[in-house]
Amino acid sequence: MSALSEEVPLDRLIHEPGRLAILTVLSSVREADFVFLQRATGLTKGNLSSHLAKLEDAGLVAIEKRFVRRKPNTNIALTAEGRRRIERHWKQLERLRTLGDRA
Amino acid sequence: MRRAQLEKAAANYWYLRGLFLVPLGALCVLSALGNWQVGPLRHPWAFLMLALLLGAGCLPINRYYNDNYGRISPSTSLHVRGAIALVIGVAAILGGSLLLRSRAPWSLDLPVNALAICFAIAMLASYGFGVGLHAHHVVIWGGLLVAGALPVWNGADPSNIGLLAAGIAFAISGLLDHRLFVKTFGPPGRLALEEGDVGA
Repeated sequence: MSALSEEVPLDRLIHEPGRLAILTVLSSVREADFVFLQRATGLTKGNLSSHLAKLEDAGLVAIEKRFVRRKPNTNIALTAEGRRRIERHWKQLERLRTLGDRA
Repeated sequence: MRRAQLEKAAANYWYLRGLFLVPLGALCVLSALGNWQVGPLRHPWAFLMLALLLGAGCLPINRYYNDNYGRISPSTSLHVRGAIALVIGVAAILGGSLLLRSRAPWSLDLPVNALAICFAIAMLASYGFGVGLHAHHVVIWGGLLVAGALPVWNGADPSNIGLLAAGIAFAISGLLDHRLFVKTFGPPGRLALEEGDVGA
């Protein structure tokens, strides 16, 4: 497996299951809010916040905070870099799977 | 990690908010009753008032989904699929009903319930393109399609019966869609979002 990992290097920031789920959901929409992401990924509020902060620091998502009917609402979208990286990551995983099947 | 399931979350959210179909179904039933001039519905203003009430009923439904399940802006591909489904739907309902049974000289004038068939095809196409057909879609809309296509609709124009049946189908399909929605995204209120998301 380590030989395979060296052959097909994985993006460690994205490979964490929670962050991979967030980015995958975001890749299928233009933007989504915090509540939808929580529903779609099943992450807790704290976990989701922490993952989003890391992804924002890495420039993979853009976060906009606003108020909707006087309640705070956090809107999240993939950046162009985030879209490119998640697509590349899934391709890498597919390659790994194919190589694993052959081995 | 199931990629397809995560990527489908947005489409599921968009298409399975079934409570919206309940007022739409009620509008179809009202239209059929209005055409038959049943009770106060023989007055156009009564129909208009009830239709406006049903339209207003969509606002709390929208709020319920937004507050409990969040908001999304669909991707371009979801918009395109929605537009294709809409075009097929409108073409099926208008063109199909004229072609199958109407006073148009080129109509096939078959002894079928054209409106029921067309609504069924439109909805099957809409779900098929949007989110994929589930068992209840096939049973409800497939059932309406078969019932409409049976060559037993001789005599008077059966459009109103088709409209009534489509209305009932909308309401039942919508309730089952909503049940699937809750099964997919969890019961409402579970996230305790009264104070907003306060996220990130």
